[in-house]
Amino acid sequence: MSQQSINQLHDEGLIEHFTMGKGYRVFILTPSYPFMFIGEIKDVRDDIVDIWVETTHFSQLENRLWHIHIDNIEVFYIEREGEPEIPRLSEDYY
Amino acid sequence: MLRRYHVVGIPIRIVVNNFGDHNPDGRIYVLKENEEKVRDLVRKNPFTPVDLVEPLTIRACEGDTVEILFENQLPFDAGMHFQEADYDVFDSDGADAGLNPDTTVPCGKSILYRIYASREGTFFFTDLGNVSSTEKGSSIQGLFGALLVQRRGSTWTDPVTGGPLHSGVYADIHHPFLPSFREYAWYFSDEMEIDDLTGNSPLNPMTNQEGESFHGVNLRYEPMANRKRLIDEGVVCPDCDAEEVHHDSWVFGDPATPILRGYKGDPAIIRLIHGGAKETHVFHYHVHQWLGDPTNTQAEILDSQAISPQSHYDVQPLYGLGSLHGAIGDVIIHCHLYPHFGAGMWGINRIFDTLQDGSQCYPNGMPIAPLKPLPDRPAPPEPTPERPGFPNFIPGKVGFKAPRPPLGIVGGREMTELEKNTAIPNARPGAVFAEPTLENANVVEFNVSAIELPVVYNKQGWHDPKARFYVFDEDLDDILSGKKEPEPLVFHVPAGTVIRFNYTNRLPHILDGDAFQLVTRTYESGYHIHFVKFDVLVSDGANTGWNYDSSVLPGETIQYEWYADTELKAFFVHDHLFANSHQQHGMFGAGVVQPRFSKFFDSCTGEEVDHGTQVTVSHPLIPDYRDFSLFAQDFTMLFDKDGCPIQPPPFPGSEDDPGVFAVNYKCEPLKFRLGEDCDPAYSFSSYVNGDPVTPILRGYAGDPIRIRLLQGAHEESHSFNVHGLKWKEERPDLGSHFNSQQHIGISESFTFETELKGPGDYLWAFETEEDVWLGTWGLIRAYEELVDDLIVLTDKSCPPPRTKPLPCPTGKPPARAEPLSTLPPHATPCAPVRRYDVVAFQTPIIYNSYGDHDPYGIVFALAEDVDDILSGKKNPEPLVLRANVGDLVEVSLTSRLKFDLFPFKDGIHPYPPVKEQAFYPPSLRISLHTSLLDYDVRTSSGDTVGYNPDQTVGPGEVITYRWFVDGQHGTCAMWDMADLRNHRSFGTFGAFIAEPRFTTYHDPYTLEEVKTGANVVLKNPLVPTTREYVLIMHDGVRLEDKNGQLIVDPVDGIIPGIEEEEAGDLLDTYDNGSRGFNYRSERLINRYRELPKLSKLFSSEVFGDPATPIFEAYTGDAVTFCLTNPSERRRAHTFHLHGHYWKFDSKDLDSRVQSFEGHIVAGFTADLRLIGGAGGVYNFPGDYLYRSGNIRWDIEQGMWGIFRVHDKLKSHLPKLE
Repeated sequence: MSQQSINQLHDEGLIEHFTMGKGYRVFILTPSYPFMFIGEIKDVRDDIVDIWVETTHFSQLENRLWHIHIDNIEVFYIEREGEPEIPRLSEDYY
Repeated sequence: MLRRYHVVGIPIRIVVNNFGDHNPDGRIYVLKENEEKVRDLVRKNPFTPVDLVEPLTIRACEGDTVEILFENQLPFDAGMHFQEADYDVFDSDGADAGLNPDTTVPCGKSILYRIYASREGTFFFTDLGNVSSTEKGSSIQGLFGALLVQRRGSTWTDPVTGGPLHSGVYADIHHPFLPSFREYAWYFSDEMEIDDLTGNSPLNPMTNQEGESFHGVNLRYEPMANRKRLIDEGVVCPDCDAEEVHHDSWVFGDPATPILRGYKGDPAIIRLIHGGAKETHVFHYHVHQWLGDPTNTQAEILDSQAISPQSHYDVQPLYGLGSLHGAIGDVIIHCHLYPHFGAGMWGINRIFDTLQDGSQCYPNGMPIAPLKPLPDRPAPPEPTPERPGFPNFIPGKVGFKAPRPPLGIVGGREMTELEKNTAIPNARPGAVFAEPTLENANVVEFNVSAIELPVVYNKQGWHDPKARFYVFDEDLDDILSGKKEPEPLVFHVPAGTVIRFNYTNRLPHILDGDAFQLVTRTYESGYHIHFVKFDVLVSDGANTGWNYDSSVLPGETIQYEWYADTELKAFFVHDHLFANSHQQHGMFGAGVVQPRFSKFFDSCTGEEVDHGTQVTVSHPLIPDYRDFSLFAQDFTMLFDKDGCPIQPPPFPGSEDDPGVFAVNYKCEPLKFRLGEDCDPAYSFSSYVNGDPVTPILRGYAGDPIRIRLLQGAHEESHSFNVHGLKWKEERPDLGSHFNSQQHIGISESFTFETELKGPGDYLWAFETEEDVWLGTWGLIRAYEELVDDLIVLTDKSCPPPRTKPLPCPTGKPPARAEPLSTLPPHATPCAPVRRYDVVAFQTPIIYNSYGDHDPYGIVFALAEDVDDILSGKKNPEPLVLRANVGDLVEVSLTSRLKFDLFPFKDGIHPYPPVKEQAFYPPSLRISLHTSLLDYDVRTSSGDTVGYNPDQTVGPGEVITYRWFVDGQHGTCAMWDMADLRNHRSFGTFGAFIAEPRFTTYHDPYTLEEVKTGANVVLKNPLVPTTREYVLIMHDGVRLEDKNGQLIVDPVDGIIPGIEEEEAGDLLDTYDNGSRGFNYRSERLINRYRELPKLSKLFSSEVFGDPATPIFEAYTGDAVTFCLTNPSERRRAHTFHLHGHYWKFDSKDLDSRVQSFEGHIVAGFTADLRLIGGAGGVYNFPGDYLYRSGNIRWDIEQGMWGIFRVHDKLKSHLPKLE
């Protein structure tokens, strides 16, 4: 029987889920700046998720690798085949 | 730490500018150590400003005890009253209040005040020994200052010498482990006595009439009139007019008003203080933004902020001086109320990019004073001949208008060598000396022009023959041909956008003269913008200090560049060159920085658009919403269909409140909406009168909406209310409380985010009496079923198809509402029901013991109290209803109004007056409207508006409203909506208090449960037992004295009185009427007639207690003041309670602490939960004044009372459990 606490189990579950999401697009909300990320999960190292971020609130922070601690992820959605698509956001308005 | 200051109050001549304008009867506080020096300097410099003659600004640290030895050398009893401070009210109040000892002192005497500086902030001080609103008073003549309390451990130095500093409006503040910052104290004041160099009242050279009254900063002002004279005399700039160069240092040199100096990037705080007497000003600071509440990182971002008398705020520019993009140059700071701006209420924030060690000069040869770099920041580079730094690289000529910027004007000039040396690497049109834009930004380009064209404001043919406004170039043909109706230009961009803006001046050279204005040569214009990031030297759309003049002549085009770095609200745009001449004709608009990735659509057609006052916004991640923009206007200079001017001023060019009011170039005056039955109760009904021409903001029930509220013109406060909807006060902060009202002054901008919770017509209105009377109201229409000309939000399901035709006007009053047929939208089915039977009836109201009374009072009262009131057993009080969260409230209202008991049966209500008097007979119908509660707007809003059913009742009729208490809203406004003109002045208002669940309400003297009352004890099983005091602060009252003579306040209440000719143009319409709290007014003139000694007028020992409510408590009792203003005049008030403070937002622990409430106008509500309870955090017993902060004209007129805090048990007042 596992001696792990419920918090450890919770963290492990999240790590496993994100690890299985490698290569997929993800949508994340965090309570800290810049609050929102859309991108591809590149790797999971310990409890840090590496995401190639295609979109945040601020274009200056896009198209780069972000390392996000799973404790800082409040809301997420990993897009898999056959499931609703995360919008591809662009600024070709004018 | 104990700090000591010896302060002297002295009479002194105050020279307010370099033209020799002066106040011969000034009064100031000064440190004793400077007293002789300042007297000597003033004696030797009778026509030159003396630096030490300024509002006394002293400093202390949080936690200090500050002993002030106050010595009075003034010819009347005086003192120092400190706001925000903790102190023993018996020895340090600076007043003679109630039963306290007198803490003012006569001439030649001294008193020691002991102030506990418990927290950081601005401890504004003023005198209460002489509250006369005349030139014989103290505050109005300059007697005010501040103790600025810094963080614990701070020190301060002189910014010029780096040496120690004992007092002064400018200081560099240092801290062992926090950044140093520049501190600038900025005191607005108004209405001070001014003589010109010759000792006469200043004249306006344009009108040859008496000039505008003093409106200044730090006891200085720099009026346009003086500078214009130099042009007229050919001394400077002979080809100029006046307003376009008013702020131009190339022409005139620097102003006498404050120049706040710093280096690019310096952290800074402006301590914004209103030391004046009367007006609510709007502080606007170009280029910079700040948090509305510096203690709350989720507060709303501002760049314009209204400030009422005797109130104060901290303005801490985000990113330091020059903002995010590091702008350099002269940044104008001003009161945005144009007549005040023109009168001289402005200064400059000068941001240097090179070191100033005293060796440099301005282009006119005046030396640049040294400025020590902040010690924890890198020193700026030393100036060199190649890079001389601002302003010496700008190729201007002294005595002539500032040069035009390089690159920006189409067909204009390139950069000089010196400009090239200073420019950013990729200098381009509109961005030459600061890079406003971050990398990767999305770019849009707009082409906009300013044009002049007649605009019709309503169906009755009111029109502005010389309307001036901005249009997109692509709309020019349609607007000029009449295909498209003009509206204020509102463009929309997503966050993170660079806006390249090509602005063409297509205005005529001349603004023609008429009954309102004299001919003015408005030969250049620009496009000044708020909020976004821009290079202030070349893209300000203004002409300030030593900057360029970034405007263009007719036919020219200039390119500006702005960067919208993050999602914002609407940002204000307008011309800055001749704004005082033509902004009131419509020269204003807004941009809205929407969330990134937004797209905007025409709400009727679904076509994608980039501008419009009503658009639909679609977003891939957040819910779609409707976006509405409303602009309030005053000084609107209209003519009727016959070409007669409507409310012209006394003479053309006068700033004496000319014209009428409007919204988005439209107005719908009530006098045109009486209908066949001539009953005001149906003035808002579309059945009787059709829809108003003012904006109808349209959506489907359930749609999210954002209302962008702005004020485009020109001088006055307005009070925006929406009936039936509410929003979070601080939009980014989910912890903030709900509001359904907002005070607004010109250039302010607010976003209200809410949703159309149910179908029906919601009234929006700028809801002071005269505003509504003249037509500043409209509707928000929420459809239940599909309509052809309104697209559906993409993320909402389609509303059901139309089953019944849309309603249309019938000319007849609508059917009566049936509130009991529906539940409020958010009501729970099993909500406990709380019932009130309310009767509206006429009865005299006695306002004080001197016999001032309203013989024609109209009140709401519980049915059980009616007989006692009518028999004279009870003097009526405003009705206060309460219910708890989760309660369903059923209020049955009966009208017993009788036509014979109205005073003006001919239908003309003469006093208090409004503009455009007209036949508008009293309605016998009446209603009850509350703010903030949840109800079906079709049945229980108390409004008969749009196509909603009738929610008023006539004599003998009863209506039962249903309101659901969907939150702990605290104070909600409550009033009649049937007849704003004939009812409200007589008392048809009250308050509703939404209490926590499980609360019971008790009489404070018997502790028995009660149903109503302004003074109750709240008991609750979960929160402390609390004393709750409801204060209804109201104005516009019509009183008669004991002999039945009409009291014409404020004039009749002015102490010691004024000459008849002075009274003539002293007032605006909305200053008229008496005022007080809770149907009571302790007018000081009555007391003064008994004993003409100003310092004693608040004394209960001399006069007995005032007629206004005496609220009693024991030290430490939990106390909440519920404050509201349900009435009616547009002059905003300040409320101040001595010796106590509270959270600005009672719901938000992060919000700032303050001892005042500002901009109080119709619909205002606030809950003041006293920190530390009764007696403040030190629990000092005594009598604490609650009062208005307006010397003009509230305090004399009776807007004050006493909060009495006992430390010993009183037999009549049970202790709280």
